[in-house]
This record gives sequence, structure tokens and C-alpha cells, in this order.
Amino acid sequence: MLKYISKRFAVMLVTLWIIITLTFILMVSVPGSPFNSDQSSNETIKANLEAHYNLDAPYHIQYFNYLKSVATFDFGPSIKQPNQTVNDLLGRGFPISLELGIVTIVVAVISGIILGIIAALRHNGFIDYMAMGFAVLGISIPNFILATLLIQQLAVNLDILPPATWSSPAHMIMPVLALATGPMAIIARLTRSTMLEVLTQDYIKMARAKGLSPWKIVFKHALRNALMPVVTIMGTLLASILTGTFVIEQIFAIPGMGKYFVESINQRDYPVIMGTTVFYSAFLILMLFLVDIAYGLLDPRIKFHKKGGE
Amino acid sequence: MKRLLLFLLALATVAVLAACTANEDAGQDPENDVEAEEPESTDGESEEEGTETETNEKVLRLNNGVEPTSLDPSIGFDAVSWDPLNNLMEGLTRLDQDSVAGPGVAEDWDLSEDGLTYTFYLDPVVAEDFVYAWKYMLDPDNASAAAFLAYFIEGGEAFNTGEGSAEDVAVTAVDDKTLEVVLEAPTGFFLDVLTNPAFFPVNHKVAEENPNWHAEADSFVANGPFMLESWDHDSEMVFVKNPEYWDADTVKLDKIHWAMVNDTNTQYQMFETGDLDTASIPPELSDQLIESDNVYIGDYGGLEFYRFNTTMEPFQNKKIRQAFSYALNRADIAEYIVKNGVEPAYGFVSPGFTTPDGRDFRDENGDLVSLDPELAKQLLAEGMEEEGYDELPEVVLSYSTSDVNKAVAETMQSMISDNLGVDVSLENQEWNVFAEAQQNLELQFSRSSFINDYSDPVNFLESFVTDSYMNRTGWSNAEYDELIANGKSETDEEQRYEYLYEAERMLAEEMIATPIRYYNTVVLEADGVEGILRHAVGYFDLKYADKN
Repeated sequence: MLKYISKRFAVMLVTLWIIITLTFILMVSVPGSPFNSDQSSNETIKANLEAHYNLDAPYHIQYFNYLKSVATFDFGPSIKQPNQTVNDLLGRGFPISLELGIVTIVVAVISGIILGIIAALRHNGFIDYMAMGFAVLGISIPNFILATLLIQQLAVNLDILPPATWSSPAHMIMPVLALATGPMAIIARLTRSTMLEVLTQDYIKMARAKGLSPWKIVFKHALRNALMPVVTIMGTLLASILTGTFVIEQIFAIPGMGKYFVESINQRDYPVIMGTTVFYSAFLILMLFLVDIAYGLLDPRIKFHKKGGE
Repeated sequence: MKRLLLFLLALATVAVLAACTANEDAGQDPENDVEAEEPESTDGESEEEGTETETNEKVLRLNNGVEPTSLDPSIGFDAVSWDPLNNLMEGLTRLDQDSVAGPGVAEDWDLSEDGLTYTFYLDPVVAEDFVYAWKYMLDPDNASAAAFLAYFIEGGEAFNTGEGSAEDVAVTAVDDKTLEVVLEAPTGFFLDVLTNPAFFPVNHKVAEENPNWHAEADSFVANGPFMLESWDHDSEMVFVKNPEYWDADTVKLDKIHWAMVNDTNTQYQMFETGDLDTASIPPELSDQLIESDNVYIGDYGGLEFYRFNTTMEPFQNKKIRQAFSYALNRADIAEYIVKNGVEPAYGFVSPGFTTPDGRDFRDENGDLVSLDPELAKQLLAEGMEEEGYDELPEVVLSYSTSDVNKAVAETMQSMISDNLGVDVSLENQEWNVFAEAQQNLELQFSRSSFINDYSDPVNFLESFVTDSYMNRTGWSNAEYDELIANGKSETDEEQRYEYLYEAERMLAEEMIATPIRYYNTVVLEADGVEGILRHAVGYFDLKYADKN
């Protein structure tokens, strides 16, 4: 196991290096500059700005500087918010996105699994159709539409929740609802389909024959196997939701880190692009790693050392 | 079995609730937040009651959209920084209720006979703070994007380009209360330029001790009508009335909350719930809301226009450029496409610039472009003959990606097709890529916008002098360059305006760029909000604002 983990970490570092290199190449090959603006300017001003942020240095020097900044976890000041370092921006935004993300994931996973189990157990029944109809709706309505509708109904028309901004638990309800619906629907459908498959397998029949109670069969024997696909999507889901979402954070004026992913690219804010990319990739790689570990816990057949399976 | 199901549901509910409560604690200061929320919600239910219960505190709730780039006066060169900053600080002069530069920190001033040397007499701030701030702005190491505004000062440009030194910048503190400024050339609008936030003073003692004084509320030094009470980055700023301000009696508001909501629908919904006192109109609701009573519509010094690239075929030919311009129906574009009460542009300089005899520049110089399909076709034929074209080279109309730009471009495409019989193709690019391509003269016929930096017609017109960074058309004309040089430095104001009229007419005759529409300001204001100054050129001012 330990050998497996250390090997995985080595691969993770190489992956990260490849991502940084690719990001750098893409970044410098896209036309544009952080200093383009609709406002008046002149050559001197632009040259001063480029010198100030070392963007007049040759590419290999800039690349080396970026590698150094990643290694030391210090990405320097943002170009578009010069009084803030990239670490300030991410350090302030990430906890907020994380807080919203955790609540969203908890709500989505719990309600998704429950919905999936109920639908599978009542296969082709009314409840199944209801649950799956709900799930299809959840997948097909984009979260930004849901968000706007929620604000209009719950804040403007009924006046029971604050419309936007981020200051009290009440402010969290609508963003969580808007964010959780999609993943919940996906999890519900996945759980239902694998559950249906698992329930027809021999070992379940065996368990029934043994006279185990239906709920014990579901939770002890069936669910554990049925969860494998859910766990598979959890890695990417966690990484994308926990690091913030651009649209939902914008609509609800939540000061998370989601906006930096999009805005930094539009504004060519190179240090922020590098910071968000490295942060997100590292986070994603870590989540995928945790998912692999979780496989082993859920399914003892999966072994971590190479020849163990023989 | 049913019991188990119920149990499971209960478990799930508990888990969700637990997660919520756990986060409540994680929110660190839920109590403060709840307290802060309460007056807001009462305020939302009924505004009149709200203001009464709040011990008559006058609180205005505004939206800045996003976090200010920087509150360092010469660094945050944009409206999201300078709109708030204009209320925290004050320069030598400040735009008054008629948008004319009046006394600010400077109580009074003298101008020398030759129009070159200004002497300002200051009241509260020490003159050294201006010297420090302006030299800081011009220092190339500090990379101020606004530094070009200070090129009017003798030695300013040389210092900024790295050829001169700080000592040679002609701004001196004669004593604590007297500041002397020598200009490169007489500049009739210099007092107006000085209202710009880039020229605000910086307390040099504070700044030398803490170069980041402007980054947080604790260390921020304000000398304007309001002070920065708190600044929760990316979320909210709170301003309070500054009792030390020289004209504090005029200031009526006690507090200003600046939210940072960057979604047009959300900020409008917050306006509806009473969480904001002003809002912009979401584009989809424009037709519905533009006529309502609480809409403020005002001039905004700026122009949307299209540039012809005179280095690319077929636009090296003046008549072909003119033909394209005569094919456009600007009134329709303004009324049916852009909407929101904007005015079509028949000249380059937007309305709102007052001439020496008190009239509007735009009215004085009249309409310079128009719709005339017959003339357009005739000019096209003549131009094609001059160039020996049997067929017009392909024309691509380019714009930066946005819904409104696309709608305008498509309308122009069909107007050119109908009125000129020419089929142009459209191309859009992400804004930054587009800007780069335009700068490098890679686009034939491309969209542009201009926002005034200071309140003088020359601000726009000088864009088109030879080799200007803002030229972006490849056009060069010695006569025009001379008109602009005179239009900047002529000391007889009436004569100076004559040069500018002529320059603008020449730009239209040569048809280097074709105007489309002027910008405007459209804002929804809640009942009882009054006195907010929105200058056509200049930054948002809450000094006289009130909320009843």
C-alpha cells in the first residue's frame, strides 16, 4: 500500500508538471495582453506595465519563474488586482467555495442515493417514475436558470429568503439548492440503474434465500456494490464543486474562487491563471487518488500492488 | 419496512441539518451577520419605516459590480475603482453640480499670464502630498496606467518614459499650503483634468511607512466627503461620512454600502427587494422599464464607432469609406438594436461639452454624417473607378464577442447590403484577441468604443494624430496633427474651439472612422434617492446625495 501511494505521488507530481507546462504554452500562445483596454493608453504606459510584471522577459525566463512560483506556492501579485497576491485571492475565495461545496455535496449525495434506492426498489412503480421524472428534470434544467427562478420566487415574490450575497446561513439555501439538483439527479439515476443490476445477481438471491430482511440485503449487500459508479464520478464532482462554480457564484454574488477561473483567462491575468490551474489540478489529482483508495475500501477485490491479484 | 424507510429519511434530514449547523459555526461570526442583516430586512419591507427605525441614519445601498481594481489613486484606472474613490478622496479641484471644475482641496488658484504656471492655495492638505502623489504616478517603476494624464505637466512625460527624472517634474510645494505647477503648454482644460482621481493627494508620511496603505480599510487615509469604514474584499465596502471634510455640512448621507454583485438580473432583483437603492436595467427588461418614473437617463461622454483600416483594401480609398458611412441608418441602430434610450451619433464628440460661449460643442459643429443610400452608391462607384476595381475586394466587418455587438454588426451588414448593394461578411473574436488584432492593423472595418478621460473634445480627437497608440487606422495627416496641437495649446479659448471644430469636420470628411451611437447612463433609482451626481465625463459623486 505504502509503495503504491508513494508511486502514485510521483506520478501526480509529473502530471502536475505537464499541466503547468501545457498551461504556460497555451497562455503565451493566445493573443492578447493583460494591458489591453478600451481606455486611452500609449506605448510608454504599456512598456512600463510589462516591465513591472516581468512580462518583457524572454519566455524561458518567464517559464522558469512560474515553475519557481509553483514550487514555493507563491504566485505573486495579481495583475488585475495589483494590491492582492494570487495567494490572497485563492486563500479568501477557496474557504467560501469549499463551504458551499461541502453542503452541496452532502445534500446531493444523500438525497441522490435515497432517491435512487427508492426508485430501484419500486422498479416500474409510481414512485420510480416520479423519482426518475424528477431526476430527468434536475439534469435538464441548467443550474443558472434554476438559480434565477429561485431568486424570483423565494426572494422577490415571497420575500422569505435574501436574494443574494453571502453573510448568513439563510444566504446559503438557494445556492445549495441550485447547485445540488444536477449532481443529485445524476447520482439518483446511477444508483438506481446499478442497484437494479445488482439486485438480480446470484448473491442477492442467496441472501434472500437465507431469509435476511430486505433492508439488510439492500444496505449490507446490494448498496455497497451499487455505489461503485457513484464513487467513480465523485472525484471529478468533488473537485469541480468544491473549487467553486463561476455561474452560481456570480448570480448569488458569492465571493468564492469560481470567478477567477474564467475572469483570469479573459483578462490574461497570467499569475492568476497559473494559480487557479495549479490549484485545481492538484485538487483534482488528489480527489482521484482518494477515489482509488475508496474503491479498495468498498471492494476488497481491488488490490493496490501489482501482482497481488494473481 | 416502512419504519426503516422513515428512519432513513429522518437520518438524512438530520445529516443535512447537521451539515448546515456545522457550517453556521464555520461562518465564524454568525451573530454579527444576523445583526447586520436585520435592519436590512426591515428596510426591505418598507423603506420609510426602515429609515425611521434606524435612528434617522441615512444609508444608501449601491452596487459597485465587482471589487475595485485598486484604491491607490493612480493605479486603479477604471470606473469600479474611481467611482468609489471619488467619494473617499478629493483633488485640487472637484466637479460641481454643473459639472464644472470648482474648488476642492484648493480654495483658490492663479494662472500666470502665459497660461503655463498654476499656483494653488490649499486648505487642509499639505502641498507635499500632491507632489508625492503625482511623482509616484509618473514614476515608470510604479507602472501607473493613468500616468499619461500627467504629461500636461512639464517634465512629466520625460520622467514616465525613463528619459527624465523626478526632480525635473515641474510640481513644487512652495510651502505647506501653496502648490506650484508648470505646464508643458497652455492647457485650457487643466483644472478639469485635475478632478480626475489619478491626481488625488497621497499622505506621503503614511505611504512611505506603509506602501500598501490603500489596500485595507484600517490603513486607508481619506480626505474626501466619506471615509472607508470597512472593506470586506469581494463582498462589501462601507463608507461613513467624514466629519473632517472641509465641506462636511453639504454631505447628507451617513453611510454608504457598496455591494459587489456582478449579475445584471440579480442586482435588479435586489433592487426590487429593497436591498439596493439603485440598479441598472437588465437588457431583457429594457423596453418595459425604460419609460418608468424612477429611471435616470443622462449623457455619458463616449462614442461607439467603427474604424476603417486605411492600410487595407478597399479602404485606402476615401470615397469608398464615405460610401460605407452613408449606408448606415444610425437612428434605427440606436432605437431598435441598442435601445436603453441611447442617442444615434452624427458626429464624433458626444453631447455635453460646453463651448466658451456656453453652447454645446455638438450643436455648434452640427451633424457630420448621415444616411444617404443614393449618395452612397454614387460614391462607391466613383471610388471603385478611382481604384480600377471591377469588383469590390471582400470586406470583413469585425467586432468583439458580445450579444449587443453582434446585433449591431448584423444590422450594419444588412444596411450595407440594402443601401450599398455590398455583401460584407462578419467576424467576431474574444475581446482581448480582437483588441490585439485591431492594434496591429489586421482588421479591415472594426468596432471601437471611446470613453472620455477628461472633459474636453480634444480628448477624443487627438486619438487620430499620426502614430498615436489610439489611432488604429493607419491614417496620418500633417494638417490634422497641427489642428490638434493647436487645439490643445491655444490660449484663446474661442480660437482653440475653432481648431477643434475644424479637426472634427476633417475627420468626418476623410471618414477615418464612422460614428454609430453615443453612450449614456441609465439607472433605476429607488423612491427618495436624490442628488447623486453623474457627470458626462468624470466620476460618480455622492457629496450632495440624499435619501429620504
